[in-house]
Amino acid sequence: MDIVVFLKMVPDVVEELVVADTGKSLDTQFLRMKLNDPDDYSLEEALILKEKYGGTVTVVAMEAAEVDDVLFTALAKGADRIVKIPGDWTGIQAPAIAKVLASYFSSAGRQLGPDTLVLLGSQAIDDLEGEVAPYLSEILGAPYIGVITGISLDAEKKKVSVIKEFAGGLRGEFELPLPCVIGIQAAEKPPRYVPVAKVRSIMKTAKIETVDIAPPEITSGVTIEKMFIPEAAGKAKMIEGEPEQISAQIIDLLKETGILRR
Amino acid sequence: MDPIQINILGIPGLVLFWVVTIIAFVLFGKRITKLVKLLMGAKPENRFDNLGKRILYLFTFVLGQKRLLHEYIIGVAHFLIFWGFLLFAGTFGWNLLKWLFPFIPIPYADDIGIIRIFFVIFSVLVFISLVVATIRRVFFPPAHLQKTADAYIIITLISLVVLTTLFGIGFRAVAVGHEEASLNHADNFLFSVFSSMSADSASGLFLLMMWMHQLVVLGFLAYLPYSKHLHLLASPFGVFFSNADRVNSLDISDAKEETTAGASHWNEFTWRQLLNSFACAECGRCDRVCPALTSGFKLSPREIIHHLKEHILEAGFSSNGKKSSGDNEIRPLIGGIISEKDLWACTTCLSCMDRCPVLNEHIPVIVNMRRYLVSQGTIDNTLQDVLTKMGRYGNSMGQSDRMRAKWTTQGLDFKIKDARKEPVDYLWFVGDYASYDSRIQDITRKTAKVFQKVGLSYGILYEGERNSGNDIRRVGEEGLFDILKEKNLQAIKQSKFSTIITTDPHTYNTLKNEYILNGETNANIIHYSELYDQLVRSGQLKLNKKLNYTITYHDPCYLGRYNGIYDAPRRVLKAIGTNLVEMPRNRAKSYCCGAGGGRIWMEDEPGIKERPSESRVREAVSLTGVEALVVACPKDIVMFQDALKTTGNEGKIGIKDISDLVYEAIE
Repeated sequence: MDIVVFLKMVPDVVEELVVADTGKSLDTQFLRMKLNDPDDYSLEEALILKEKYGGTVTVVAMEAAEVDDVLFTALAKGADRIVKIPGDWTGIQAPAIAKVLASYFSSAGRQLGPDTLVLLGSQAIDDLEGEVAPYLSEILGAPYIGVITGISLDAEKKKVSVIKEFAGGLRGEFELPLPCVIGIQAAEKPPRYVPVAKVRSIMKTAKIETVDIAPPEITSGVTIEKMFIPEAAGKAKMIEGEPEQISAQIIDLLKETGILRR
Repeated sequence: MDPIQINILGIPGLVLFWVVTIIAFVLFGKRITKLVKLLMGAKPENRFDNLGKRILYLFTFVLGQKRLLHEYIIGVAHFLIFWGFLLFAGTFGWNLLKWLFPFIPIPYADDIGIIRIFFVIFSVLVFISLVVATIRRVFFPPAHLQKTADAYIIITLISLVVLTTLFGIGFRAVAVGHEEASLNHADNFLFSVFSSMSADSASGLFLLMMWMHQLVVLGFLAYLPYSKHLHLLASPFGVFFSNADRVNSLDISDAKEETTAGASHWNEFTWRQLLNSFACAECGRCDRVCPALTSGFKLSPREIIHHLKEHILEAGFSSNGKKSSGDNEIRPLIGGIISEKDLWACTTCLSCMDRCPVLNEHIPVIVNMRRYLVSQGTIDNTLQDVLTKMGRYGNSMGQSDRMRAKWTTQGLDFKIKDARKEPVDYLWFVGDYASYDSRIQDITRKTAKVFQKVGLSYGILYEGERNSGNDIRRVGEEGLFDILKEKNLQAIKQSKFSTIITTDPHTYNTLKNEYILNGETNANIIHYSELYDQLVRSGQLKLNKKLNYTITYHDPCYLGRYNGIYDAPRRVLKAIGTNLVEMPRNRAKSYCCGAGGGRIWMEDEPGIKERPSESRVREAVSLTGVEALVVACPKDIVMFQDALKTTGNEGKIGIKDISDLVYEAIE
């Protein structure tokens, strides 16, 4: 099986997010990038599939700050190839990302084969709808399914059956022919740990392949009007005292707000 | 009456004795050669430095039996058996020479009166000691004493050695006659016991005793390296090659290759680590002080060492060219003989190593196996989360590294210097918990206020500081430790200062013993409790009031056992007027809070009897009149405050940092 995992870097929300002076994007000066969490799971699922069924795992990412570390880590975890698409991709949105990723399959020596499985994170903090994967599947002409938590391959290695999570604890099982595009919500196991020493030694010996892809003309399908940090609204009032006093106050409050009528 | 000049069953005694001796020595030599070969096949480690110190260890811990005397009664018994052994082993060698080569013109050892006196004294003392040891073993066995048939075989053999000596001397006295001038008080005493016997039968019995003695000793020699009493041969080497003065560092001197991958097979350990298992006598002193075992974790430091020996005997011997008997599969060391859970339960508190009479080094063995588990990625989820955060942000909390000094921006009406930008006398390495944990930050600010009030020239590294890596290293993530160390060294080297102060004893330990800062920057590294002590003694810390609290003090493992700092915090507590009541387990016997070695980042197993912190808090609460449990480690605050709640002792006692009290005294 030819497994291709696309990894995406997203702003690290542990850091304070600052809106740039233009009011239309984040201030990159304070931004630190990290791997999108669901993408970490899609890499894990790819590695699990490789361990189960054999094949190769190719990890592809568009250039971003700290992406090299992420790629080397993927290699240390067990990926076979790591590929970077160089360029300044700041501000690029889902439809355009899908175009770039689709172009990867028409780059030299690369194609969407009959046994290619494309894995992406089901969503990202800056793409909550998880648009990239369905756009990509449309361009590639391959079927798509998202919010997947488990994949297995059939005996002839022509179809995959996948588990999709629904609200309320329901699960569905679906079958797709290869090649296809799958959005991963979670892998069967949490992403594995790879010791720092292993990543470091791989950094010394391995090289990241690069594939040049021209930026698409339109980098975003939508136009950002304004980006802002929500202002704190409302207030919380702590009610103190004995239980009886507290309950009396609560009743008064409910009356005041008109929820409770005598 | 020469024992070698007799015929037994028609065979000359000399021939028979040669045969028996050769068999015994071949058995002994074969086993020893095998064991030594194994050690030579292990990873290198330089333990040949500082010979003076090593010889001193031999005197203190082998000849002086220092650590055995921690448990007094059996300690004295062992001391006597040991010295008796030296006497009997020495004279055995002497007699062996005379037995094998009768033409050598020397007397037998027991022909010399003064030696007979020593024989009688030590035979009696050793026999009494053996009785004491047997009674203890049978009727009052301490917890975790490994009870094997081995021990009884050895007790029987030693009893035979001393009894044949005693009886031999008695029969000899009767045989040579009362009037003989060479008889002394010891002979006379024994003579009186056997005086009713005829000289002839006494002479026969004397020969019997001599032969029995020699045969028992030869049997002992052959049996020894196959039993747990291998410790008797291996432990002096273990002691000689120990690093008792460097237990606070996990560095392996002259390691020839990367040590990050750890060990899961005998030849991936260093030879000194393997030697632990040969030197172990399975006395269980380590188990009796182990906080993990006491809490109900499965970890037993004694078993870790013993399992390593089992593994060496199984896997080491078979890979040595010889197949193991039968088609038994060789069990893997980790997951087969030793469970992963046991390895993770260790708090690295150092109690086991501190008590071990033969200076075995348990923690390096455990950490080496943890490294293997980390290299395989088989770690607990919460620990994995911490390692990932630590790799990215340099702290275990997963908070932004840029926010490390945020605590300085609230509640302080002064700005702390950035040691990277302006020279200071003291560089304060604050540490993760003191910097980030909201439960500790207030104490950290009090520490800063004390420094400020004293007029100390000090600064911090701001966002240049990372977790020191002490516990990351002990978790087994050696590569991450290296990175943290590099980054910290970078920031430290940017700074101009003369002394580093640390808040956390764990930080203190690694900066002092594993960063090797002294060589590079000539930095002095002290713990804040030591600084307080210096400031009190120099009069710089002016105390405005006496605190009349009755308190008790908990010695943090990494301050006390690891670095021997017991008195500085006690002097400070005394200077500020508190009345210190010691807990039963104080100073080197201090009981771990359970946070060390990365345990603070791991989930407790279900079914734990009593967490170490809970046991410690109960110990403090049980002291009459004690108002506060005082600590000198930020992790202790977290652990003990939590334990107060879980043991239902909230409100009965306060958990105070030494900075809380010093701040109050100078306010």
